[in-house]
Amino acid sequence: MTLLLEMKNITKKYGDFTANHNINFDVRKGEIHALVGENGAGKTTLMRMLYGMEEPTSGSIMINGKEVHFHDPSEAIRQGIGMVHQHFMLFPSFTLAENIVIGGEPKRSGLFDRKAAADKVNELGQMYGMPVDPWRKAGDCPLGVQQRTEILKVLYQGADVIILDEPTGVLTPSEVKELLQSIKRLAAQGKSFILITHKLHEVMEAADRITVLRDGVITGHMESNTTDEEKISRLMVGRDLIPMSRVANEPGASVMHVQNVTLAGAKGAKPLLDNVTLTVRQGEIVGIAGISGNGQSELLQVISGLVQPDSGIVELNGKDVTGDSVRAIREQGMAHIPEDRYMWGASREATVLDNGLMGHQHQYKKGGLIQSHKLRKVVSGWVERFAIKTGSLDTQAQFLSGGNLQKLIAAREFAQNKPFLIAAEPTRGVDVGAMETIHGELLAKCKTGDGILLVSSELTEILKLSDRVLVMYEGAIAGELSAAEATEEQISLLMAGGKRQL
Amino acid sequence: MTRLKRNLFALLQPIIAVIIGLLAGAIAIVLLGDSVIDTYAEMWNGAFGSFYFLTNTLTRATPIILTGLGVALAFRAGFFNMGSTGQMVLGGLAAAITALYLPGPGWMVLVVSLVVGMAIGGLWSLFAGYMDAKFGINLLISTLLLNYIASLFAGYMVAFPLKDQSGSAAMAQTPMIDKSIWLPKLFSGMSLHAGFILAIVAAIALYIFIQKSVSGYEIRMLGNNPFFAAYGGVKRGRMMVVAMLTSGALAGLAGAGEVLGTQHRYLDGALASADYGWSGIMATLLASSNPLGTAVAGILLAALQTGAMGVERNTNVPLEVASVIQAVLTLFVSARFGYAFLKRRKEKK
Repeated sequence: MTLLLEMKNITKKYGDFTANHNINFDVRKGEIHALVGENGAGKTTLMRMLYGMEEPTSGSIMINGKEVHFHDPSEAIRQGIGMVHQHFMLFPSFTLAENIVIGGEPKRSGLFDRKAAADKVNELGQMYGMPVDPWRKAGDCPLGVQQRTEILKVLYQGADVIILDEPTGVLTPSEVKELLQSIKRLAAQGKSFILITHKLHEVMEAADRITVLRDGVITGHMESNTTDEEKISRLMVGRDLIPMSRVANEPGASVMHVQNVTLAGAKGAKPLLDNVTLTVRQGEIVGIAGISGNGQSELLQVISGLVQPDSGIVELNGKDVTGDSVRAIREQGMAHIPEDRYMWGASREATVLDNGLMGHQHQYKKGGLIQSHKLRKVVSGWVERFAIKTGSLDTQAQFLSGGNLQKLIAAREFAQNKPFLIAAEPTRGVDVGAMETIHGELLAKCKTGDGILLVSSELTEILKLSDRVLVMYEGAIAGELSAAEATEEQISLLMAGGKRQL
Repeated sequence: MTRLKRNLFALLQPIIAVIIGLLAGAIAIVLLGDSVIDTYAEMWNGAFGSFYFLTNTLTRATPIILTGLGVALAFRAGFFNMGSTGQMVLGGLAAAITALYLPGPGWMVLVVSLVVGMAIGGLWSLFAGYMDAKFGINLLISTLLLNYIASLFAGYMVAFPLKDQSGSAAMAQTPMIDKSIWLPKLFSGMSLHAGFILAIVAAIALYIFIQKSVSGYEIRMLGNNPFFAAYGGVKRGRMMVVAMLTSGALAGLAGAGEVLGTQHRYLDGALASADYGWSGIMATLLASSNPLGTAVAGILLAALQTGAMGVERNTNVPLEVASVIQAVLTLFVSARFGYAFLKRRKEKK
């Protein structure tokens, strides 16, 4: 295969900090090359240089054997490099066709020709096997379709090398499968992909070659058929991961019980929660699986007191807490790692310290004032224990990477030390090392006799941690499986609305 | 950035803004064909040139600082209280009525008048909060419109039932308040009264409240991200009561201070037409709702206004040059959001 793109001896320094050190990276025509590494390993920096958003301190970039210098992304795009960002950059009120042709609109007598744009998009979709409805508004499309649109956009711009930055973070399992098939098909048609991710099973499934980064240097480079997930994760983390064996506890009394909870939807629509009943007992982890948008968020909001149910009751430690305030419920014995860290879990403008205080503010109160000395010590302890990378405790949360913020939120809620914990997407976007830490903490908490309700869109996470698995579909519990009998296939079937089995 | 540096920055910001405003004013002066140096020297003299002018500036700054602090607290909680003018007017009127009709020793009547002024200002502000919570009436709109109701109601009160009948002049104003109830002057012969001390104390107290207290923390988080606050058990309703009540009370105190310290009666239009309320909002915006910065910005804005009067007295440059400078300050406030955005991008890299 021909070498399409080559990055030679790339070094990037920010002041004293070396983000990339002497990196060699290349891409062949028609291959999928995975770039893996933990948060902060330097993957994004490397790709930003390739995409013209940064310039390397030293080293060179060659395309088709010719050296190139990019000063901004438009130059990279002209050389056939496209990037699909982790957070989609579509205009929600524009149609898919408008989003795709943006910057290179087909024109007729000087005016934007919408019809031609739609035809062009249909043609592209046909050619690459990724059809979309060109007339739909981007904001109305599911995330999987939005991503397909992003890929079509870079293809429309004439990209030969497409960088996918954490492409599967927000997708459902079936959307992930579809995406991986699509890129494999595109690779077979001669397009090249750089896949940035830390989900190793996806790497193993799709990639031809794998390059591992750790702390800004390459720690491994291999063909995917000569390696396995364990080897890669060792290269990423720099040590062996301890395999977690979970011993099933004998569950005790109920810590949290939801009885016949119903929450009406918009007029005429299906109820958001349909007669949900579930129990979490002491010393067990109950996993809730389901494609996002099937009532999991609403269930958690009802349990935590953010939303009042239309009927049904919520009990915590044997006390009916339906209708109580969030604060009263927290004090009755609940901690909560929320599913969306930016919306519910943190304030971007506030400092690490202030973000750590939330939920604890009445414990660190003396004479109405915050005991900041004591608080600082405690939050410093979390930073150390969870290896949270932050400038200082007074750094604003927005400057933390997503994974580090997630660790802070998890640390804060573990520190509540309450008998019941909601853990919603506890490891979304965190790296392998942090995932190990958080999973370890969850299992340890469960071992001490606390109950945990785990909601995750990662089936592997659910299967790894849960004693029992409940599957939600359209606001109702579609089925319950014990840890022993649950398989990915069974859960997938229930998630997709397969027959109920109770 | 360390906390100390952040605080210094908050104090520095209004000063930088004023410097940029002065540069723009210089251009206007040059276009008018006058000497920039002479004009600004007159402006400096008018604001700080002598002890008399300095105290004059601080007197003018007092209500600006107090209304600014009130707005700052509401902004921090995420509530747009645009009603400081109305809250100030009603607070001033209530203080005047109390001072005129409550019997008792002077110092006691003074204290009660100040408290009543604060209470009325606070309740007027809370009323807007109530309408938001109960009927979903947008605070920005309701507080703004309540200004008119307050000003016109106060105007009616002093034009008819409470009108001063003693003098021959047909001014819409209450009778003069007894001298024993006036806020004491800080220096004999100067206009500066004890209200300035109250304003500075309020600024420091509010700073401690917002930065160090648990309620202040909850207010800040509510303003930053209401979902996060709700998730953490912060009660929006209770915080709204605290924030709007205190915010209005500070504006009410500004009005009461003007009535008891400077005018010694409620004179129709005296509080609203001086635009103290709007200058207060500007001071807050210049200082990004930092209470200490708001105090500094309040003094600078007052100096700009008293300085401009000096300019008009002694040169051919019209008072409107100060308006040019203020307009540029307003632009600067909006531009600062853009600057913060750029800086954020730079720090991310």
